[in-house]
Amino acid sequence: MALPLPAGLTPPEIAFLCEMELVTVIPRQRLEGLDLLGGRTPPLIPPQRANLPLWLALLLKRQRRANILPPPWLHPSALLTILELEHAGQSAPPRLPPAPPGSLPISPPFLPSSTAAAPRDALPYHWLELGEILLEAASDDFEDPDGVRRLMRDLREVRMASMRKGVGMFDAQGGFNMTGFGGMEVGEGRAFIGGVIDGLRKIGAARERSGDGDQDDQDNGFPSTADDYDDDEMDM
Amino acid sequence: MDIDDILAEALHVSAPQETLDLQELTRAWVAERVAPELLPYPDALMERVLGRIRRQIETVEEQTGNMDPKTNFKLIVIQTELERFKFLVRSFLRARVAKNSAEYLSLSESKYLTAHQNLLASHYQSSFLSQFPNSLQKLDDTQGGISMIDAPDPDTAVFCRALRDVGEINVVGTGRAFVMKRGDVRVVRWSAIKEKVLAGDIELV
Repeated sequence: MALPLPAGLTPPEIAFLCEMELVTVIPRQRLEGLDLLGGRTPPLIPPQRANLPLWLALLLKRQRRANILPPPWLHPSALLTILELEHAGQSAPPRLPPAPPGSLPISPPFLPSSTAAAPRDALPYHWLELGEILLEAASDDFEDPDGVRRLMRDLREVRMASMRKGVGMFDAQGGFNMTGFGGMEVGEGRAFIGGVIDGLRKIGAARERSGDGDQDDQDNGFPSTADDYDDDEMDM
Repeated sequence: MDIDDILAEALHVSAPQETLDLQELTRAWVAERVAPELLPYPDALMERVLGRIRRQIETVEEQTGNMDPKTNFKLIVIQTELERFKFLVRSFLRARVAKNSAEYLSLSESKYLTAHQNLLASHYQSSFLSQFPNSLQKLDDTQGGISMIDAPDPDTAVFCRALRDVGEINVVGTGRAFVMKRGDVRVVRWSAIKEKVLAGDIELV
């Protein structure tokens, strides 16, 4: 019955999330609005653009019922600018618009960060997955798919290198800032980064507990399991 | 007017309940998949989503057999989305049941787990445990410095994103603190941010 999956989201699960991102399509056929479980889709009337979740856009694309408009940040000139910023270590992290007061704050994959109206100067959270899915399923909708592919690869390498550089700043207590990394990058780094931080914490746990650790465990309402084991040993 | 304002404005157009529920379910699924502990069961949300899934299945059943190619394609779209929702719900419930914990279980989850554990215990008992000496027959032994009971470690590192400016977060027991602004992504021990996650100010990624 145990969930036979490793801790953290698997790459197919991250891709599943990415497929909820909105993209802009140019329909080639009419399709009236459909009452889906996630809300009503906009009616498709060629050649009016419409924003649809990626999974639906891919279905339409596969059946040649629509073309997908790659988001502005996926144009070679935009990628080149972002790549230069990455090289200089000044890339803009993906932006979240201000949270509307009172309501549930919206976050990826539900931000319109990959539609035709998305900003062109910052990579959104699902940039890598979205780029690869579009290059795979809709390469004929790109002006220069090979150029985009090459730039995506370069970007990925620069960003991986900067994540590796961050390894020196791992810290079991304060954690590690990952702002700016995307969904698939977080997924790839999760096992290693999480493992190292957990490992460091366990090594440091004895020292932490001999200090004010016990007091704080109670304050926080979480008895730590390590303490339970200690109690058992004393019972013997 | 900068791009953030434009985005914010676009989002202020209020989304229908169906869309909000999808967002909430997706967030709950990710959280349950990555949190070391079982999280509260979203009763009202699950009731709405499961009801809609039931009705959508009825719609599909009524319209299957319609040979009109236009209706046919609409059904393909509806069924594709239905499968995505069913995956989301199943994976969410499986992640919960895998944590095998008593707190926060819904009634049917708790019934399922009790029945499963009883079956498992009687199977072990009849197939081999009954041959063992009495002192070795327990399945919940905590003696000898090794507990047979798995418990979640609340200090496990998790990856999270601030949904609001949450100010300073103190990592209990370490004297460390850091500030998280909306959009910040961080690896941090679960116990430090659990309350903010339950309050909806931070989400797990």
